[in-house]
Amino acid sequence: MDADTLRALLPLIIISATPVAVMLVLAFYRSHALTVFLVLAGLALSFASLFPASGLLPRMAAGLLVLDHYSFFFMGLMFAATFAVALLSYGYLGRKDIFPDEYYILLLIAAAGSAVIVSSSHFASFFLGLELLSVPLYALISYPRANPRNVEAGIKYLILAGTSSAFLLFGMALVYAELGTMEFPRISTAALFPGTDRNFVLAGVAMIITGIGFKLALVPFHMWTPDVYEGAPAPVAAFVATVSKGAMFALLLRYFTIFDIRRYGSLMLLFTVISIASMFAGNLLALFQNNVKRLLAYSSIAHLGYLLVAFLASGVLAAAAVAFYLAAYFVSTLGAFGVISVLSGKERDADMIDDYMGLAWRSPWLAGIFAAMLLSLAGIPLTAGFIGKFFIAAAGVDSSLWALVIILVINSAIGLFYYLRVIAALYSRRPGALAASPKLPVLGGITLGALSVALLWLGVYPATMLEIIRNTISRFF
Amino acid sequence: MRDAFYISAAVAFVSTLMVIIQKKVVHALLYLIISLLSVAVIFFTLGAPFAAALEVIIYAGAIMVLFVFVVMMLNLGAEAARQEKSWMSPRMWIGPSVLAAILLADMLVLLARGPAFISGGNVVGPKHVGMALFGPYLAGVELASMLLLAGLAGAYHLGRRLKKEELAERETRR
Repeated sequence: MDADTLRALLPLIIISATPVAVMLVLAFYRSHALTVFLVLAGLALSFASLFPASGLLPRMAAGLLVLDHYSFFFMGLMFAATFAVALLSYGYLGRKDIFPDEYYILLLIAAAGSAVIVSSSHFASFFLGLELLSVPLYALISYPRANPRNVEAGIKYLILAGTSSAFLLFGMALVYAELGTMEFPRISTAALFPGTDRNFVLAGVAMIITGIGFKLALVPFHMWTPDVYEGAPAPVAAFVATVSKGAMFALLLRYFTIFDIRRYGSLMLLFTVISIASMFAGNLLALFQNNVKRLLAYSSIAHLGYLLVAFLASGVLAAAAVAFYLAAYFVSTLGAFGVISVLSGKERDADMIDDYMGLAWRSPWLAGIFAAMLLSLAGIPLTAGFIGKFFIAAAGVDSSLWALVIILVINSAIGLFYYLRVIAALYSRRPGALAASPKLPVLGGITLGALSVALLWLGVYPATMLEIIRNTISRFF
Repeated sequence: MRDAFYISAAVAFVSTLMVIIQKKVVHALLYLIISLLSVAVIFFTLGAPFAAALEVIIYAGAIMVLFVFVVMMLNLGAEAARQEKSWMSPRMWIGPSVLAAILLADMLVLLARGPAFISGGNVVGPKHVGMALFGPYLAGVELASMLLLAGLAGAYHLGRRLKKEELAERETRR
């Protein structure tokens, strides 16, 4: 491995070294503020190191990782999202009577796992990255372990993640048994050799899709989502909804772009069915939820369905739509869970719609931010979500996926109902269950402010983001 | 060779099924050991004797013995000791012993017939494993070490003694 490859690997090296550094500091001195400072510094440093390293792309590192502009874009997105989660966690964990420090070690390792997933081009690195993301999440979800609901959610996630990993491994084994390679580019060429048994490969790929589907919470693998989101601490739920799913989707897009999914009609059909089912199931099940975390869980299922429309459209335009939509979805979801985090107290998370009754009259800014995030998730103009949905629809139309685009539009209309239900609660005159005027923590307030600025910026002036996407994602195609 | 593979695969299947349906955790662990041993035999038939040895030493040996010890040590007190004695009734040993005996016979036949692996003489020895791990899969080894760190930090947090406030919280929630 030469010096240039090492320099290109720098973001991954820094994000992996930070948890070790944090752990060593913890061995001598425990201070929540210092730990968070180290974590934020490590994340900022790994984000910053993307820029000098980006001149050395694309290249393969150690045979397992591919470092290109595509992976660097998603790495930046993951690091930024983890940064926001860490900021939100500081106030959230500070209000609880628990040891907060190991949380950040686990969070950083999970972030490293997501970075490995987005840059993997080999089954081995894909699987290791996936486990690196999942194993810390078991502990993160059940982190406030005095609360049985957290532990229950953690165990549920453990069992389902274990099952999905088993499916994934078996699928990989089938593909490897037939094609004799685990590298993505060679798989796609080997699958076209005349002698290969196509059914064998398709069975393997279907099992891989099952494994990925569990992680992305696509219908019919979505059952765990509401329970885990409800039980997990709010910042961790934000992490599961954004970083964990975003990394998997980036991998899905890379894998099937290399594999050239358009050559396999049965797989296209499979993804079409999954996409339609996810959109409808997510939106319909969210309609009558009284728990905001469960509502956001179902909404995330629907959002992944929307993303699959762009995925099916496939091509440069579609990839740009996926990248933009993921960025917009990250900002809105982090913001929505961020509001839940800053309002959550020592005893329980502020997760019932009743908790938010009349919040606008007590803290108008917080309610405004929450409303903006929900409107963005619903895809109302001036917010990031609208531009994202517009690009997805444009990509779908460009590939003449008319049925899918029409279903997307219908679902956006259904979705509007439950987002507006929460917003109506925010602005209702009835007094809510929360304390008279919630005190906004400083770091949480800054994070939410920054996320709102990002939301409006992406929604009003998307050109900057599109320029970034053109320089990174589009080069992959 | 193929028969040996199918026999050990059947043993793996039966013993894993027994792990799931056992009511007592110690009995389940006994079957889990058999399951891991049968996987080791499968590795052997596939031409990976080194992986088979590691499976026996690390999984069936170190990790499982640790499990059994921890489970045994958790049940303290005279009542528990009497209960444990009832678990150790000879009837309980029959199932795992029979399965283990089948595996042993399988293994002995394999050794008597001499090395002829399913993979066709392509034996993966310790040297191959080492060269693969520290050659093309070096990044994988590093990532696996991070994975162990994650497991360690998570287990440390979840297994740590609760703070007084947490204990109080748990009591109030009961």
